[in-house]
Amino acid sequence: MTLTSPAEDVEVVAAPPQPRRGVSFRDAGPPVALVVIFLVFSALSSDFRTFANVQNIMDTAAVLAVVTVGITFVLMMGSIDLSAPGVMGTSAIAVALLVANNRNDNDLGLIGILVAVLVAAALGCVSGLALVLLKVPSFMTTLGMSAVGLGLATLLFNGVQPNITDETLASWAVDRFLGFSLLTWIAVGCVLVGWLVQRYSRLGRYAFAIGGAEEVLALSGVKVAPYKVAVFTLAAAFYGLAGVMVTSQLSAGLVQAGKGYDFAAITAAVVGGTLLTGGRGGVLHSAVGVLLVTVLTNGLVQVGVSPYWQGGVQGLIVVAAVAAAVLPQRRRNQVTK
Amino acid sequence: MKFTSRPAVVLASLSLAAVALAGCSEEAAGGGNDGGDGDAAAACAPGDVKLVGQVRNESNPYEASWLDGGDAFAEMVDLEQDRLTYDADSTKQQEQISQLLAGDTECLVMNILPNGDSDTPPIVEQAQEAGAYLVTQWNKPADLDVADYDHWVTHLTYNGEESGKQIGDALVEEIGGSGGIIALQGILDTAAAKDRFAGLEASLAENPDVELLDQQTANFSRAEALEVTKTLLAKHGDDIKGIWTANDDMALGALEALKAAGKEGEVAVVGIDAVPDALTAIQDGTMTATVSSDGPWQGGIGLAIGYCVATGELAVEDIPTEDRAWYAEQFLIDADNVADFIDPATDESDFACDNVFSRSQGAIS
Repeated sequence: MTLTSPAEDVEVVAAPPQPRRGVSFRDAGPPVALVVIFLVFSALSSDFRTFANVQNIMDTAAVLAVVTVGITFVLMMGSIDLSAPGVMGTSAIAVALLVANNRNDNDLGLIGILVAVLVAAALGCVSGLALVLLKVPSFMTTLGMSAVGLGLATLLFNGVQPNITDETLASWAVDRFLGFSLLTWIAVGCVLVGWLVQRYSRLGRYAFAIGGAEEVLALSGVKVAPYKVAVFTLAAAFYGLAGVMVTSQLSAGLVQAGKGYDFAAITAAVVGGTLLTGGRGGVLHSAVGVLLVTVLTNGLVQVGVSPYWQGGVQGLIVVAAVAAAVLPQRRRNQVTK
Repeated sequence: MKFTSRPAVVLASLSLAAVALAGCSEEAAGGGNDGGDGDAAAACAPGDVKLVGQVRNESNPYEASWLDGGDAFAEMVDLEQDRLTYDADSTKQQEQISQLLAGDTECLVMNILPNGDSDTPPIVEQAQEAGAYLVTQWNKPADLDVADYDHWVTHLTYNGEESGKQIGDALVEEIGGSGGIIALQGILDTAAAKDRFAGLEASLAENPDVELLDQQTANFSRAEALEVTKTLLAKHGDDIKGIWTANDDMALGALEALKAAGKEGEVAVVGIDAVPDALTAIQDGTMTATVSSDGPWQGGIGLAIGYCVATGELAVEDIPTEDRAWYAEQFLIDADNVADFIDPATDESDFACDNVFSRSQGAIS
């Protein structure tokens, strides 16, 4: 089984048991919701529909987008990954200590960034190995890995906040190209790379296939384990880059750099149409989900919803959006009870 | 099938490792504890006192400085402080306390930062039962009366309304008495966030020319404050002359947002807590003011009060009621006096037994 069909992503896997009705509707749901929500907020608030605010939405979405690209690969496999907070914390502190900073004399620049991403990837690799060798469910391994990452970050932090003085890294958050910050362009690049990996590499297609029907893949002679480890490693590399981006935004390495990003990214991916059961969705879906969530957060502030109400209102809209998006796939989703 | 025993082996080896580690720390902690127990139970020999400081985590500069202050006091009386952290996890805090109180508690002095109001009663009950000397800070349910207990020595906290107003006034002055400001609140259901914001409202009531354009929560978080400030800058643009934040982490996030928008130095920013980066920002002139509760002093004073009671220099029944639950003094820091606060240090005279309540601003109302 070579799985080379370049057709519709979803169809790379053995076809789902139900007929193909509603394929276009299913994929169109989240983008349509995005456009609708955007138009509603534009109508409600003149502050919302300014270019400055669109810039702001894109800049705000950047970090979440990178985390979500990573987590999408794990979700496509039908696994879950809660390690983002720990991995991002480790890479945030690591990069802050490796580039020019106020704690030591390091000034590794881009190499420092690369090392931080590699450290993050190593953490993901450990998660993957624990999953395939020790058969620990991904929920537990990645939760554990998150704690390990936070522990590492706290050790490196050592009581004194590392502030960065490195100009390259600082410029990512400040310098603009075509109106958007460099961080936004990095995020766009990540989405593109993620999509290419998903669409054209064996890793991406097998991730889909594992989520769709792991047994079929294994029976056809594919060794699944190395691909699983590779997916967790790839995902963690994205989290690592996201940690570096947070450090750039805040000009400081924070242990809590990734706080909340695990569930925010899972939410964004699911809102975009990536299923928690695996085998469906993808990087582009998730990118739409990220924009949806970000527009929602931004819009609620712009139209002046009281902060005491925002959390609840946002939660309701997300649940409604997911319900609408997955309605055509209810049978697939029943696994999640 | 051969895999079935693996989890058991892993578990067993992990627990062995844990036991070995625990053994190490036990030994270290018990090191200075072999003095005679001949004295009456009322007073402990100074060398027998065991000092424990517990905060949420050491990755927070303020709480790390708190524990450093505890170490400074411990050094002053030739003891060592056990530094405990519970990762802002209430369950973990209670477990640590139970474990601690299961050991030798006769001369145990605990300086505790309860995770939330509701975490305080179980800690108090356990300490009372075990006979350990307890000092708590920041969080306590209003209806829990310290005077009902003889081992819960004292509770101290800070008047959030006062600090919120102090920085509010400083902000108003910095922007010249008129113009628009925005406010970043803390976690909305905490007393600290509510009181501090009430302080801002009090300040605004006295300065009708200053308009509160918007108030949002950024949950005391630097990263969230960055996003919220960016959004509000897009919404209100140049109308924003000042940013009031309920803690320094959010102030620093707001500063980053201003930097990204090219408005650094044009908008006044105030916060509370006096974390090191905020002090640097005040020194650089990018931030206007903050308020310090003096973390190192907090870490030392709780141990000092407990130590004085444990060694018999101070009797719980002699402590006046207004010193059993009190507001401690806090300090407004701006460009004029920031240099005095850059290197936080403790003053030994603050910890003398006849001076431990010198910073009291009165009983908690």
